[in-house]
Amino acid sequence: MKRGELLGSLEHIILLALVRADGDAHGMIVRREIEQRTGRNISIGAVYATLERLEEKGYVSSFTGQPTPQRGGRAKRLFRVEAAGKRALQISGQTIRSMTAGLKDRWGTI
Amino acid sequence: MSRSSPLPFACWLFESVLPGPYREAMLGDLVEEYTLRIDSTSSFTASIWFWSQACRSVPSMIRSSLRSRNCFISLSVATGIYLFIEMLKFAADFTISKLFAPGQSAHVVLAPIVFLLANAIGGCVAARIRRGAPTFLALLVTITVAVLIDLKGCSIPVPWWYQFGFLTLGPLSVLVAPAFLGRLKQRGLVM
Repeated sequence: MKRGELLGSLEHIILLALVRADGDAHGMIVRREIEQRTGRNISIGAVYATLERLEEKGYVSSFTGQPTPQRGGRAKRLFRVEAAGKRALQISGQTIRSMTAGLKDRWGTI
Repeated sequence: MSRSSPLPFACWLFESVLPGPYREAMLGDLVEEYTLRIDSTSSFTASIWFWSQACRSVPSMIRSSLRSRNCFISLSVATGIYLFIEMLKFAADFTISKLFAPGQSAHVVLAPIVFLLANAIGGCVAARIRRGAPTFLALLVTITVAVLIDLKGCSIPVPWWYQFGFLTLGPLSVLVAPAFLGRLKQRGLVM
């Protein structure tokens, strides 16, 4: 992660969903996890577009799984978080924590 | 409708229209979730969910395709082919206008056929040269038609749905024709 470059909100959420999946996960698992935890009904296209961008940045890697009949003979694309992705999450998390520190007294719960 | 291949038309349409390297994986995910949703809800609710997810995914996938690193090459290929199909259309329109006077029913019927056919040929050529090129070509066709409609480029009075047909079916023919040709090749119907 370049200095000063922060993760976008969807990038942040998707990386966290991948970490939560604890292993290799495909787009629908990520989408479901986000929907269950945040109530945001994001489209599968938005998930894959973000995953593609994260892969270009080197934060995640992907490989093709086996095609299954449940998927109409289509193969899964499985994603995993790379070390650079974990670092980016730490930096983004740290930035948010730094920026929200001390605001609790003013705003109540943050 | 079998459980292993839900909404075959929707799958085929989105497989043809959606750009991007993860198209197949994305459709696979949708199909998998759709079959799970049929068990928990109804076939109708699951179908609505499938269509809404697929339709909402199109803008994200197109944006992602336009943003990709190799988009400049795809755009160049699309522009070249766009000029080629415009020449093709001009030649065909010229021939039609020599045979039938503008406003004659034959002219009104033949013009959209030529338009769709030229776009379909362009789409197939674009897909053969570069995978991402049909998306850009469809975009160029949409912009041109929209500008022509706005400038009232059609000299003959035509109903709104006729122009709307050009605006929607034009780009769709660019995107769907390569997939259709691929299917025909798979079945051995085309060399």
